[in-house]
Amino acid sequence: MSTLEFFDCNALYGIPSVPCLEQAKRVGDLLEEMEWAGVSRALVRHTAMIDESPVVGNRLIVEETAPHPSLCPSWAILPPQTGELGTPDEFLASMAQAGVRALWTYPSRHRYTLDGVTLGPLFEHLVARRVPLFIERGETSRGLSGWELAGAVLQEFPELILVVVGHGSWGEDRYLRPLLEAYEGLHIDTSRYELDGGIADLCRRFGPERLLFGSAFPYTSPGGAMLTLAHADIADEEKQKIAAGNLDRLLSEVRL
Amino acid sequence: MRNPSPLTEQYFAEGKVADCPVIDCHGHYGPYQGIYFPNLAPEAMVETMDRAGVRLVISSGHAALVDQARGNAEFAEVIARFPTRFRGYLALNPNYPEELKRELARFDDLGGFVGLKFLSDYHRYPITGENYRPAMEFAQARGLPILMHTWGGSGYDSPQLVAELAARYPTVPLLMGHSGHGDWAATIRTAQEHGNVWLELCAAYAVRGVVDRFVREVGSERILFGTDLPWFDPHYGIGCVLMARISDDDRRSILHRNAERLFGDALP
Repeated sequence: MSTLEFFDCNALYGIPSVPCLEQAKRVGDLLEEMEWAGVSRALVRHTAMIDESPVVGNRLIVEETAPHPSLCPSWAILPPQTGELGTPDEFLASMAQAGVRALWTYPSRHRYTLDGVTLGPLFEHLVARRVPLFIERGETSRGLSGWELAGAVLQEFPELILVVVGHGSWGEDRYLRPLLEAYEGLHIDTSRYELDGGIADLCRRFGPERLLFGSAFPYTSPGGAMLTLAHADIADEEKQKIAAGNLDRLLSEVRL
Repeated sequence: MRNPSPLTEQYFAEGKVADCPVIDCHGHYGPYQGIYFPNLAPEAMVETMDRAGVRLVISSGHAALVDQARGNAEFAEVIARFPTRFRGYLALNPNYPEELKRELARFDDLGGFVGLKFLSDYHRYPITGENYRPAMEFAQARGLPILMHTWGGSGYDSPQLVAELAARYPTVPLLMGHSGHGDWAATIRTAQEHGNVWLELCAAYAVRGVVDRFVREVGSERILFGTDLPWFDPHYGIGCVLMARISDDDRRSILHRNAERLFGDALP
């Protein structure tokens, strides 16, 4: 059995507006899958944060994960100017109170522009307090998507810790690697980083610190990313960093 | 981990299992337009195979998807260099029908080819099209399997078009590469209605629940393992198969037994 301890940075539960093949409607469904696969902890989102509203989902995720110490809640952001989640100071105080140390942005689904004009006041806090911001590769804004959008955000906020999840499986290293080289805050999850030899090759060029184990549950089977990491051609210490250590480090560095 | 599978335990501990010699039914070879491959050389592919307990990969050269003659010849050289580790699908491009016929004519001379490969979405030519007829008749005469890229919603190689072709050539084993990705219901229906249709899992395995559903609704006996190597780490696909709620017996059928039965003596 693998001796790695897995801390999943990319897990989701709740009722989605468009069902996936095997749903995880309740927090118990996620916990059951984690136990089945051998994932000990997860940074988790609620579908209501995405499909309904962060105003609702941010509350639900904290309430529903509270009884489960293996689950770390994360929140979605909105532009501070509408005041739906309070001022940046109020929002960060709420995060501290709720024990939330990671955020997600959904500019296309929540209909705002992912740039400094809209989010500068909040992002200045995220940079100063080292709060990681997660984004799904499929999100779009400013006519940009995927790695181009990530690059535009990092160009404006080069110190931001940005985690892009859902690397496409058909080969995106030519987009990704220049950004890894340019911005130390850029991280990716491994849920669909299936490239043969890819993890070892990335570690050789950029070190293991930029990769975070992710499952993309409930959309993706966790077994692929787990077995790939368990037998990647890198040192055991590097594997453990990717499996859990890097996410632990990012979350421990947050200052709220 | 609550997954009670001994096979899973062995794979996580060792990375491979000696009595489960994986056969990868969907490989490639050589550089390709939209992707960087760290493990491009055949030696590097063999190293990957050794690490994951993959006994054999049945591949088509990327070059052959463009230039049939050059690409098939190049991959024949790889097979000759590693005769116990590679077999080939003769890759055919229907946009060049005369060359396609010439490739079929030298199928035996090239050596090591055990089936045909269609990549209709990329060639933008339907699997049911007339230019494929010589290939279909060739496969029919010899009982050769055809691996075809299939994708849900495609106008060129959807599960519905596979069903049409399967009815027209009921003795030709049609291997649905990527299992008609996305249109799982149509893929299952096609496999249920046509005994000559096989489901190949490359990329499909990542979608949580797909492997479980195929086994439940089609049975594990016509499911094949494939990775697009050198695209995807075999451990990724194997890990997905291991985490499905199926038996180890089903997993062994998928990972090697079905390919052994389908290709028989054509494999080393």
